[in-house]
Amino acid sequence: MKTSPQDRELLIAQATTAHRTRDAEGNVQLHPAWLDLDAEGRALAHARTLELRALEAAAAHDGLTSTARAVLARIRATQPR
Amino acid sequence: MSTPLDLDLYLPAIAAGEVEAFAAFLVGAEAPLRRALGSFASTVDVEAVVQETFLRVWQVAPRLVPDGKPQALLRFCHRCARNLCISETRRRSRADLQAAALLAQLEEDELASLAPEAAPDPLLRVALAHCRDRLPKKPQAALESRLEATGDVPDATLAERLGMTLNTFLQNFTRARRLLAECLRKAGVDHPLLGDAP
Repeated sequence: MKTSPQDRELLIAQATTAHRTRDAEGNVQLHPAWLDLDAEGRALAHARTLELRALEAAAAHDGLTSTARAVLARIRATQPR
Repeated sequence: MSTPLDLDLYLPAIAAGEVEAFAAFLVGAEAPLRRALGSFASTVDVEAVVQETFLRVWQVAPRLVPDGKPQALLRFCHRCARNLCISETRRRSRADLQAAALLAQLEEDELASLAPEAAPDPLLRVALAHCRDRLPKKPQAALESRLEATGDVPDATLAERLGMTLNTFLQNFTRARRLLAECLRKAGVDHPLLGDAP
């Protein structure tokens, strides 16, 4: 079934988030919206993510993006207290 | 042109388990790594690969022995990420060997683009603040919630916090992104990542 341009835009917007679930072993899982995109949509989602992360880095006082924050939160959560 | 900072500067502290040193490394490493994986973007979820790569690199960094060439840690990230991409491509693609072989040929091009990211342009930060202030209320709220999110909150939760449905949140976020890009262009920000059409 072909996705409408509007639905495609929403899928791309969803795929640009840094939120990713993890499996039972803690491995990062792909985003369901990314899976629903065609090759062109995935390439566009990649380009938009690059753009957004650059804006996030510019907006943050420490230069960290949502991706970096997600990684660091995961590391801190697994460190011994 | 100035010589890029060698991110191996942070390696001893990272190996010693200092998370703040790894954060400083991520500031310089994330963008070049993500760009270098562009050839995989239609076959793997690059965001997932980038996060998985950094988590694995953090775990193995204490055992990494630099080869004496610059950017050993960044190059190690790239190798780790490529291996993840190729494994995922093989797992997902029926023409696995052909696709993996084709992607393997691209490695030299990727390495050429692997220069650490410089600190964000202060002018971009000023222009960004200017343009964010001028966004309509709802798109601004959607954009701000994404910019402030730490990556551990799904869009559905961000939408709920703003009293929006997921679709409305995504529509507002998409509109904000487009308006922000237009505003930045009008402000004279010449950023290569702002060349994308709506």
